[in-house]
Amino acid sequence: MYVIARENKKVENKMTDTNTNTESNTNNTNKSSNLKIVESDLKIENSLYSELSSQFPDKVQLVYTKPKRIKIYVKPENIIEVAFFLRSHFGLDHAESVCGTDYPNENVIEVIYHLNSYSREELSQIIFALSTKTDRNSSYLPSLLPVFKSVEYHERETYEMLGVYFKGHPRNERFLLPEDWADIPPLKKDFRIKGR
Amino acid sequence: MATAPKDFRFGNFVGSLVWLIFWIIVIVSLVGLPLIFIIFFYIPLPYSNGEVITPYLFLSMIVDPTRTAPIIKFIIHTDFFRAAVFPGFAFAAMIAATTIYVERKFLAKMQLRTGPLYAGKIEGILQLIADGFKLISKEIIAPSGADKPIFWTTPIIFVATAAALTVLIPVAPGWVGADLDVGLLAIFAILGFFPLIALLFSWSCNSKYPFIGGLRALHQMIAFEIPFILSALSIVLLSGSLNLTDIVESQYSFWFFIIAPLSAFVFYISSLAELERVPFDLPEAESEIVAGWLTETSGMIYGLIQLGTYLKLYVLAALFVILFLGGWMGPQIFPQEIIPGYTGEKIYNATVINGIFWFTIKTFGMIMLILLPRGINPRIRIDILLHTGWYKLIVLAFINMFIVLAMIYGGVITPGGLQ
Amino acid sequence: MTNEFSESLEKKLEETTKLGLEVVKEATEDRLMKLSVGPQHPGSGHFRFTIKVDGDYIVYCDPDPGYVHRGEEKMCEYRNFIQNIPHLERPVIHDSTNITYSYSLAVEELLGIEVPRRGQFIRAIASELNRQVYTLYWLAIYGIFLGHSTMFMWPAGDRELFIDLLTALTGARVTHAFNIPGGVRNDIPDGFKEKCLEYVNYFEKRLKEYENIFYNNPLFRQRTENVGILTKDDAINLGVTGSVLRASGVAYDVRKVEPYDVYNEIDFKVQYMKTCDSFARAYVPFLDMRESCHIIRQLLDKMPESGEVRMKLQSNPKGTPGESYKRVESGRGALSYYIVSDGSSRPYRVKISVGSFRNILALPHLLVGSRLGDMPCIYWALNYWPVEADR
Repeated sequence: MYVIARENKKVENKMTDTNTNTESNTNNTNKSSNLKIVESDLKIENSLYSELSSQFPDKVQLVYTKPKRIKIYVKPENIIEVAFFLRSHFGLDHAESVCGTDYPNENVIEVIYHLNSYSREELSQIIFALSTKTDRNSSYLPSLLPVFKSVEYHERETYEMLGVYFKGHPRNERFLLPEDWADIPPLKKDFRIKGR
Repeated sequence: MATAPKDFRFGNFVGSLVWLIFWIIVIVSLVGLPLIFIIFFYIPLPYSNGEVITPYLFLSMIVDPTRTAPIIKFIIHTDFFRAAVFPGFAFAAMIAATTIYVERKFLAKMQLRTGPLYAGKIEGILQLIADGFKLISKEIIAPSGADKPIFWTTPIIFVATAAALTVLIPVAPGWVGADLDVGLLAIFAILGFFPLIALLFSWSCNSKYPFIGGLRALHQMIAFEIPFILSALSIVLLSGSLNLTDIVESQYSFWFFIIAPLSAFVFYISSLAELERVPFDLPEAESEIVAGWLTETSGMIYGLIQLGTYLKLYVLAALFVILFLGGWMGPQIFPQEIIPGYTGEKIYNATVINGIFWFTIKTFGMIMLILLPRGINPRIRIDILLHTGWYKLIVLAFINMFIVLAMIYGGVITPGGLQ
Repeated sequence: MTNEFSESLEKKLEETTKLGLEVVKEATEDRLMKLSVGPQHPGSGHFRFTIKVDGDYIVYCDPDPGYVHRGEEKMCEYRNFIQNIPHLERPVIHDSTNITYSYSLAVEELLGIEVPRRGQFIRAIASELNRQVYTLYWLAIYGIFLGHSTMFMWPAGDRELFIDLLTALTGARVTHAFNIPGGVRNDIPDGFKEKCLEYVNYFEKRLKEYENIFYNNPLFRQRTENVGILTKDDAINLGVTGSVLRASGVAYDVRKVEPYDVYNEIDFKVQYMKTCDSFARAYVPFLDMRESCHIIRQLLDKMPESGEVRMKLQSNPKGTPGESYKRVESGRGALSYYIVSDGSSRPYRVKISVGSFRNILALPHLLVGSRLGDMPCIYWALNYWPVEADR
């Protein structure tokens, strides 16, 4: 488990330059003397992944596990069955957000479903990130609407912001943007804000 | 803030005033005076000290207060004066205006605010006049598909109908615009026009929200008409008359509120619904249907409808006072004479003044009671409202009516007092 | 049954055509009236939803947000981590401390820094105060939606207490820009603790009056009880959050399930109700306000007397490549940020997942089948802030 016991530990500020931060760091450690983060052993996160990988040995791929966060990568063709398994066996019953990220260099759009559980208390602190990737030029993904009712508006937003067409979603149409929007989806990296 | 212009000179200012006075004198002497004489030539004039008042005598009487009295007395006993000024429209409009101001201040104090504050030096007393000017100066916009004749005339009909009600209200012994033998019925008959006017107006607007609001107004007013009349019926049984003056005079020994409290309660609730006041303001429910049947009103059309609504408020409060709180009955607190030893023609009548005083006090108390729920209640839903009207209030009114009937047949009371 | 009925209809149709009369078919669509609620409607805010009513019943509802969409997520990609703070709080200026709170948490994870303990306490205090401000404002609007004008004025007046405290703390009335990666902008002023305790004590007295006058009003109960039932299963499936979720019987509060900063040292209860109706959704924020008063007292009590409130940062900090997902409990539920950094001084992608956007999914679900008069009562009980949902 992720335990925060606030004891003496030097806090590193990685972003400051190595030359200048020696003084400030010592100051900080003196003043905030009882601060410490104990790295948790990531027991739940790892057990979740091992259970999942035993069910789908070659379909899921772990990206990272952090305290209370776990991210896996699934290919688009497998995402519905994995999502269904997550829902029925793990009790991850809703999506907090659906986020699309554009990677023009790799020519992919990554769509991440941040899943969470209300019904299982021990999982309610875990954010389970289920990610998948689709081609940037012809973006089609199966909709997770049959599995998670809560992704309806999130997927619709992802469609209009990144142009990812969700197959099986009843309304791949405008949501937040103006009715007369006649440009490329704005969250793609090649859409530039004027003057920037 | 008003500041003097840069090229202000006091001499110019005085000069302009003199110039203004000069023109007023010229216009009055050339136009005003001949006009007065022409009018007085045609209208019949009263007798005073045995002689007919000619225009010449009339003008000379103005400067002599002792000889003015018969003229004033003559004027205030004309039917036109009664309908238009004192017990009728102007008096009601004055009370309505006071009500608007009092409502705003009263509500503000309940809600820990100050209310109108800036128009007029004292507590925003001129706010109403400012609002009136604003409403008059605003443009009146008729919706494009509106039925124009109905759209323009219904607000006027609304005010006219409300003003017709004020004529029937007796405020003091002998002081009523039209002393009908069926006064109570006449009031209910005229009140029956209002749902029709609301529906006509909402229909003529050619807009959806007014339409829903108009239908709601229709439902609501019809649902509350029956308990309204039933609650007044027990008073008719008690007093044995439909004449409002008779109803008041039959309460000389006790108020009917004592015998018919349930009817009074039903009457109060029904008048809240009839007036579309909180918690029964469904026809104007802001958050559901914008402003209900008033959505398309703008400028003075809105002003007229508001005026009509507040006239109605006065009439229903006055009717409550007449039916349940003994009308103008109250202890005599005014002296019989103001100027001791005066023997000329008298305008002052202690009984009448006393009646007016008590009537106004009671009516205002009643108006405050009608205003009170606005500060403490949310809006009610339409199904609960209709249920209240059709099931609960009618039953309550009937219960009280049976009690009254039992008391009359049991010989406890006769119409007009205890036996 | 239906077959017989349609057969008799056909017979009638034949008879009428034989007689040479004109036949007018009444379709079900003819019975419906389409109403547009918003954005000029007084009962919607910067938001529009079209409804169709059959008589007094709503049979169709389609939310159409986006009137105040300003592309916060795109704007974030053009500014560095510090510059993002002032514009990120615009979506919900009544709760501006909370919306920058989770942003700061996420950026701190990317920058690998830890907030000093006193700074964490001040953050939590500001967050609680701001939640009170938001909830009071929400309650005020709920009052006006129900046609209760006193219920608008009282909370809107008492909100000034907390705005005063926040002004003393941050220097601005509503847009504080108080949380920054590394801590808070400034230390608390002298005498703040006493003033805060005094105001909170006064406010608790007022809360009792609120309960007596608003929540125990029989008409208020008639309007809200058994209206807009969102069952526990539906709430979970629709993924609603915050007070809407807690009113449906799920005791879920991010402060409890995933304590951030100092919340694991604070003793408080998650307020929830099991009646699942609009009354519960209106009452849970009230209970939260009461609980928040206890939390503020504990925070003031446990706060270290002195110390740094802020970790000094380089002027233009660069994040480690990676991603971070952090959430806090705001006035409208879980408010989470997903930030991707590519190692530069600007975020590569920022995704704001707000409670309002998640709660609005329940609106068509609840409105269809309810009465037109219940529409404002259901809509605003969803704790929806249109500007935040549009981002």
